[in-house]
Amino acid sequence: MKKFLSITLALVIVLGCVAMATADGMYISVISKGEQHQFWQTVRSGCEAAAADYGVEMYYYGPPSESDIALQVEALKAEMAKEPAALALAALSTDSVMTELQECIDKSIPVIGFDSGVPNAPEGAIYATASTNNQNAGGLAAEEFFKMDDFAAAVTAATAENPVVIGVLSQDATSESVTGRTTGFVNKAVELGSAYGVVSVEGHDLWAAPAEGASIIVKVEISATTNQTDVTNSANALLNTDGLIAIFCSNEGTVNGLLAATADGTELADGARFGDLIVGGFDAGATQKNAVRNGWFAGSVTQDPYNIGYLAVELAYKAAMGEEVADVDTGAKWYTAENMDDEGIANLLYD
Amino acid sequence: MEQNAKGRLFNTQKLLAPAALVILYIFFALFGKNFFSTYTGKTILESAYFIGFMAFGVTFVIITGGIDLSIGTVMMCSSLVGGVAFSMWGWPLWLALFLVPITGCVFGIANGFLVAKLKLPPFIATLGTMLVAQGFSSIISRVQTQRYPTIGSANAWFKSVFYRAGNFPIGAVYLIGAFLIALFILNKTRLGRYTFAVGSNLEAARLSGVRTDKWLIIVYSICGLFAGFAGIFYAAVYTTVIPGTGNGQELNAIAGVVIGGTSMTGGSGTMVGTLIGVFIMATLKTGLASMGLQSHWQTFITGFVVIGAVLLDNARNKASEKAKVKRVSAVKGAPKLENQA
Repeated sequence: MKKFLSITLALVIVLGCVAMATADGMYISVISKGEQHQFWQTVRSGCEAAAADYGVEMYYYGPPSESDIALQVEALKAEMAKEPAALALAALSTDSVMTELQECIDKSIPVIGFDSGVPNAPEGAIYATASTNNQNAGGLAAEEFFKMDDFAAAVTAATAENPVVIGVLSQDATSESVTGRTTGFVNKAVELGSAYGVVSVEGHDLWAAPAEGASIIVKVEISATTNQTDVTNSANALLNTDGLIAIFCSNEGTVNGLLAATADGTELADGARFGDLIVGGFDAGATQKNAVRNGWFAGSVTQDPYNIGYLAVELAYKAAMGEEVADVDTGAKWYTAENMDDEGIANLLYD
Repeated sequence: MEQNAKGRLFNTQKLLAPAALVILYIFFALFGKNFFSTYTGKTILESAYFIGFMAFGVTFVIITGGIDLSIGTVMMCSSLVGGVAFSMWGWPLWLALFLVPITGCVFGIANGFLVAKLKLPPFIATLGTMLVAQGFSSIISRVQTQRYPTIGSANAWFKSVFYRAGNFPIGAVYLIGAFLIALFILNKTRLGRYTFAVGSNLEAARLSGVRTDKWLIIVYSICGLFAGFAGIFYAAVYTTVIPGTGNGQELNAIAGVVIGGTSMTGGSGTMVGTLIGVFIMATLKTGLASMGLQSHWQTFITGFVVIGAVLLDNARNKASEKAKVKRVSAVKGAPKLENQA
């Protein structure tokens, strides 16, 4: 018993010393949406670089998964108790942090949104946001699809009797970023597809807009949870759709789900089971880049995660210093096997 | 002399959990960043709401020698059903909120039926309902995240009635209320007595005329009901409820119960212990965050705390068995001692 207690005590003291070994100075809290994907790791390194450049003490939090709203709220509360000079926040759900945002206004703690930001936040809480315009980014994928010869040929040949299906694979419609990309893609696909024939949107209620006699069907598949297994199930469901010519995966989680459903992407290779399928991804994890490089994916949309992280901390620092800050669009680009080593693209594809 | 020794043992046992809570709090106050503040105090309280409700309910089940693994997903499922009734079916919020504990209770009754009537091991039965609740929540919500009203929106009374009235953490009032009710049921009613009786020796209880099936079903439905109420307070604090989640939350509650000294083998336990255990869990969560340790560290360390608590439980059982043996031999020597005790 005594041994157990003394071991516990020792452990506790060591942890305490670790926590104490931090310097004084301006303290900025960064509450992100995760650490699980390489995207977030790159955001984090951007944050760290900015913190080093501006000489601030920065704490970076990421919940274990994007479903862990409660954990993120608790982390936010814990950070607010530390009275940071400024906060950078990528909210999993704005509604869940309403009370805390109101308190930030009351305590005059500047909040900077980043990545998906904090949409519909109370007036005056968010000083500025560093983010990708998700609707534009999703739309970009649809534009690139329609530029491809194979895709255009398939869409032209489609009839009401033999319609083609364009799939969109997204995780649960909680996060504004994924919803935005999905909406951007669907809208753009409908807009561009209308030149070829009637377009019908099917699948999840949020986007469904069925049309009679459609030759082009945009099918939105939303996975049951953000768990890899559920995403993979949804990917399988989509792959089994008749007339499927293309799939757009709206984030790295769904890309990984699709890769898992296609034997790590090998079934997407030319001549393989899904060799003719045109796939577009989002973000730039190692497995995804590999899929693009091998030509399994036609291409992917990349954001600039490093810049998102860097600008989030920079804006937070400036806001804490009382400077005027304004929203920044961090941009999106389409990368393919051909251009992924070009300067200007390669440095957006962080691992 | 021997009486004294026994008394001391009894007291140390009782004081262990509260002492751990105090030590934990002082430790975090010393090493955490701004831990010692009313703001953090409120955070601890608020993260204890839903764990507390689940823990009070599952204390009954654990005392009967059973376990309820479904409370985490049942809590989320109940919360989602309420959210669906409110936002998709257009029910008024107050009516939708009634549906939340009812949903929890229905799952509880199902658990009780499976365990008492169909004689399934509680572990398996509740593992099944855990998955059923998880799946059902996705089905009924059509995998759409449900959002409860926030402060400043229409129906904002929801927050001021269950979460914060102005700056006052009003949820704590319900937590204490629920605690007192659970305390009363466990210690002052027939249901409470039978809960202990079933847990000490199911067969003996049955042979002495207790309708164990009936009482077991009631115990499990109470547990479900409390999990349902936990759903209301989860929604009050966290607002957004995602379908298919809740897995693992039951372990926070069960850990709280075990840390509070309720024996996993059944037959003994206290509601006060559970309350303290819940606050140990909540303090640990908030305290580790104040030291800059992320949630995976919290999970990691909580694991050790649970193992420690169960080891302690074992040690305690051994000690009380020893005491029993001593008492028996003492009784042989001086038959009047038993009456005195």
